[in-house]
Amino acid sequence: MTRNDLDDIADSDRTAYSDGTADSDGTADSGSIAGYGATEGGAVGQRWPRVAAEAKVRGTFRYTADEPAGRCCFVGVHRSDRPHARILAVRTEAASQVPGVAAVVTGADLHAAFGDRLLSGPAFADQPALAVDRVRYAGEPVAAVLAWDLATARSAAAGIEVSYADLPAVHDVDAAVAGPPYVHETLRPSAVFRDLAHLSGRSGTNVNYEYNLRCGDVAAATAAAATTVSGEFWSPPTHHVPIELPCATAWPQDGRLELLSTTQTPSYVRQAIAQLLGLGLNQVQVRTRPLGGSFGSKMYDRLEPLVAALAWLLQRPVRMEATREEAFYLTTRHGVAVTGHMSADAGGRICAAAADVRYDTGAYADIGPRIAAKSGTVACGPYRMDNAWVRSRCVYTNKPSAGPFRGFGVPQLTWAHESLVDELALATGQDPVAFRRRNLLREGDVSAMGTKMHSADFVGCLDAVAAAVGWDRPLPRTAAPWQCGRGVGVAVKAVLTPTISNAVLQLNQDATATLLISTVEMGQGSDTIMAQIAAEVLCMQPDQVRVVAADTDVTPYDTITAASRSTYHTGNAVRLAAQRMRDRLLEMASARLGVPAVDCKLTSDAVLSGSTQRSVSLPDLIHGHFGALGTTLTTESNFTTDWVPYDGTTGRSPQITEFWFAGAVAAELAVHTRTGRVRISHLAVAADVGRAINPALVEQQLVGAAIMGVGQSLFDQLLFDEGRLLNGTMLDYQLPSVRDVPQRITPIIIENPHRSGPFGAKGVGETAIIPVAAAIGNAVRNAVGVRCRTLPLTPERLLAAMQADGPAA
Amino acid sequence: MRLAAARPAFYRPETVDEACALLAADEGAIPYGGGTAIEVQRNQRTLSASAFVDLSLLPGLDQLSTGEGGLRVGAMVPIRRMETDPLVARVAPLAAAAYGKVANPRVRNAASVGGNIAYGAYRLDPPAALVVLGAVVEATSASGVRRIAVADFFPEGRRTALRPAELVTAIEIPAMPPGAAVSYVKLCSLGAHDWPCASAAACLVRNGAGEGRLRLSVGALGAVPRLAEINVAVCHEEEAVQSAVGAAEALIEPVADVRGGVAYKRALGLVAVEDAVRRVYQEARSDQE
Repeated sequence: MTRNDLDDIADSDRTAYSDGTADSDGTADSGSIAGYGATEGGAVGQRWPRVAAEAKVRGTFRYTADEPAGRCCFVGVHRSDRPHARILAVRTEAASQVPGVAAVVTGADLHAAFGDRLLSGPAFADQPALAVDRVRYAGEPVAAVLAWDLATARSAAAGIEVSYADLPAVHDVDAAVAGPPYVHETLRPSAVFRDLAHLSGRSGTNVNYEYNLRCGDVAAATAAAATTVSGEFWSPPTHHVPIELPCATAWPQDGRLELLSTTQTPSYVRQAIAQLLGLGLNQVQVRTRPLGGSFGSKMYDRLEPLVAALAWLLQRPVRMEATREEAFYLTTRHGVAVTGHMSADAGGRICAAAADVRYDTGAYADIGPRIAAKSGTVACGPYRMDNAWVRSRCVYTNKPSAGPFRGFGVPQLTWAHESLVDELALATGQDPVAFRRRNLLREGDVSAMGTKMHSADFVGCLDAVAAAVGWDRPLPRTAAPWQCGRGVGVAVKAVLTPTISNAVLQLNQDATATLLISTVEMGQGSDTIMAQIAAEVLCMQPDQVRVVAADTDVTPYDTITAASRSTYHTGNAVRLAAQRMRDRLLEMASARLGVPAVDCKLTSDAVLSGSTQRSVSLPDLIHGHFGALGTTLTTESNFTTDWVPYDGTTGRSPQITEFWFAGAVAAELAVHTRTGRVRISHLAVAADVGRAINPALVEQQLVGAAIMGVGQSLFDQLLFDEGRLLNGTMLDYQLPSVRDVPQRITPIIIENPHRSGPFGAKGVGETAIIPVAAAIGNAVRNAVGVRCRTLPLTPERLLAAMQADGPAA
Repeated sequence: MRLAAARPAFYRPETVDEACALLAADEGAIPYGGGTAIEVQRNQRTLSASAFVDLSLLPGLDQLSTGEGGLRVGAMVPIRRMETDPLVARVAPLAAAAYGKVANPRVRNAASVGGNIAYGAYRLDPPAALVVLGAVVEATSASGVRRIAVADFFPEGRRTALRPAELVTAIEIPAMPPGAAVSYVKLCSLGAHDWPCASAAACLVRNGAGEGRLRLSVGALGAVPRLAEINVAVCHEEEAVQSAVGAAEALIEPVADVRGGVAYKRALGLVAVEDAVRRVYQEARSDQE
């Protein structure tokens, strides 16, 4: 079914609330939500308990690595210690002779078997499962040992000896832009996704993608502006650190490959593995279990190509479990440099902004080109402005590959624009909240990138967080050497568009339901949310709808579980499938009860005729239909979104996104002026979620994102020396401990229903993390008078900045 | 061959003599206390050991007792007990304070006093306090028992003063002198549960006539915890702070790492020293009141 089918089916529902129309103040009219609050299903808007919560808390839940693999080979990987080098020889003899070792495989072996199909990636086919001829980062897999136990595999892998001829390496993103040396000689697009269909092959550069936005005349507007501020900003590469480590097992059997993997993207992995092995899509099965956290780290090509290639080559079951230390090399968040400026006219209105963005994507592009483009569109922030200039480039360096990370590149740009807008407010003598309020985009506004705003209440989010921290009240008193301050940040982000979701719903004869979708539960709560959406339509109770773990043999295609897209996209597919099921039940009941279908009404356990008041229970109805116990009634649906590609000259588009994320954060904190330590007393986080399907889970997303954002602001950074990772252990790469999280976190749900969201809902997974660093940086500026433009705001960095600027006024 | 090394053996001796014999018989054998450091290193594959000698069954090593003017702490006493046992709080409150700052409660519950000091890293919490207290490590081997002052336990260029096949069996901590005031200050640059980036321990002992003796040490700011002793006037806090900071300058020789550069660690060390001295003065004042 296409998007147009949605309009037919959902028309009656869509009339239940009007489009959020802006009043003169720009505040969306949320009165229309009232009609939804009283939905008959009684599921949407309820705080249903999280599915499997108790088992996860008790530690009895079975994750992927808990599934027995049977007799199989375990993989130990030998990794490069050179950032850029030609491989001269890989000496595997000693490792091969270790008792318990079944085989040792090099990149050359895999290339001999699979040719250039060994190179994979969602944007460019640039990454081999094992390095062939050349290593491009320190930590890259060079050879794999397969042994009958994990310890032997790992210790034998350590004994492999590789001789290299070092090549000139490039570590700094701006040096890489200037190049040479080049990390790749030539590039071949992989053409997996529609929004990346315009990528072209490249050679003689480290810049694998460049997005440009041209709106108005920034140079002229800046020259005419009353006030201009500028700055150079840096967000370092970081790592996701999910609790669950990546694990993949592959079983070859009867010409097929079955894969059980920790992945957010089973549909992509099936496609990638089928292509790698030269198999039909029905000859590759990708199964998942719910993930123990991911945040973007378990997407696209991680362990799966290597495990699949090894299993296929040796025709043996193969299992790989990444160690905590290896996980740091599997994928990272992009380090990003932004050179930006922003100007206001004499009336205090933002008139122009520019951002020159360089994403350090490491040795392999992964999804970096999409990040550079998608995030580049919002690099100037959620503000009304007639003149905007953005150049957003995705750049190779000799580092571990960067990929998706909660926020998809936008937090690093928000760090720049929300620092600049704060400076602009201060330079024009205005309160940072009032200044933003005056300039923020409103419902119906067309932003600089050309797409109209809908269901994105930036002002409502900002007002809510400012009120929560008492923005207008005096700062709390703190004893020296602590100094207190407050700051805010506002977030805008587009959702991945276009994308595809499908749902298959089975109503069992006993009136329970089984939902087949390829959305992966990873702590975000999708197994709960999707059940609530189906239950809302079918008037069901908690536990009545069970979501099946993604299995490409069983569950239908879904683009990805990422980009905060599942509630909206898969949620819509689920709603449509449930509506078809409801219609089917009403038809069946109509025949059974001898009344017209319009006279029939679905209730929590039966279908009731309004005119006769006779009813038939669902088990009876389905049993009557099939004449057997345990039967299933099936409906399915598709939900696909569309876009208008970026204009080749201006980078603008009237439809770059299906919906907008809008959020705001306010921070109240104190800075220790002698140690530079930051203590956050209150963090208020708000997101416009359209409609909260489950307010408890939304609040948990907001709080989780806020804490992760505190890490990105104050702690997280991967440190490299000449391309070698210095702190790739949990002892040296530290997250906020329980004693470092804010003393108080206030999650605030803002609801402006989206006209085509399921019951008005949008996504929420990323919204809150986006402006956290900026809000904290602005609060530090407010507290001690220094503007730090480099993340994270470590005590050492803050103390140096305070000492350089002298004592704060 | 190295690659074929089997999984390390795990011995569970029931007497100290047996443990010492096992260590003496295999130079690759390592005593196993609470395991918190060893298991991290095993995960990271940075530890090569042919065998582990578990100390948990050795009689008496989990005992905490007083006598002869101080505490005797068996090597297998959990760090958490040092933090929470009223006996330690009464006899050696500075030790209780420093042990209470180690890592997080989960680690403190598992880690042992002996394993902690035998680990020997320059950035542990307890040694700075133990040096100020004049604590002594009891080391036992097949050839007998040695007593090593904590101040001498971390020789330059070596991890610890322990000899091969020697085992920490106890730490002896002298009782705090009557009327003394103590403090331990820990400053972190990463998470609040991290090792100290800089730490300071201080003990002020009044010797009448308004005079006092300040024993001071800094931690994590050099290869070994180092001690300074200065005479101070009990009623002149600012003077004492200045003398202490001056004395500490000479003790601080930081090594740059992911926790901070030399200049930052030096600055942090001086803040720790000042805070530690101010706290002992505050405590001394409140004792008088």
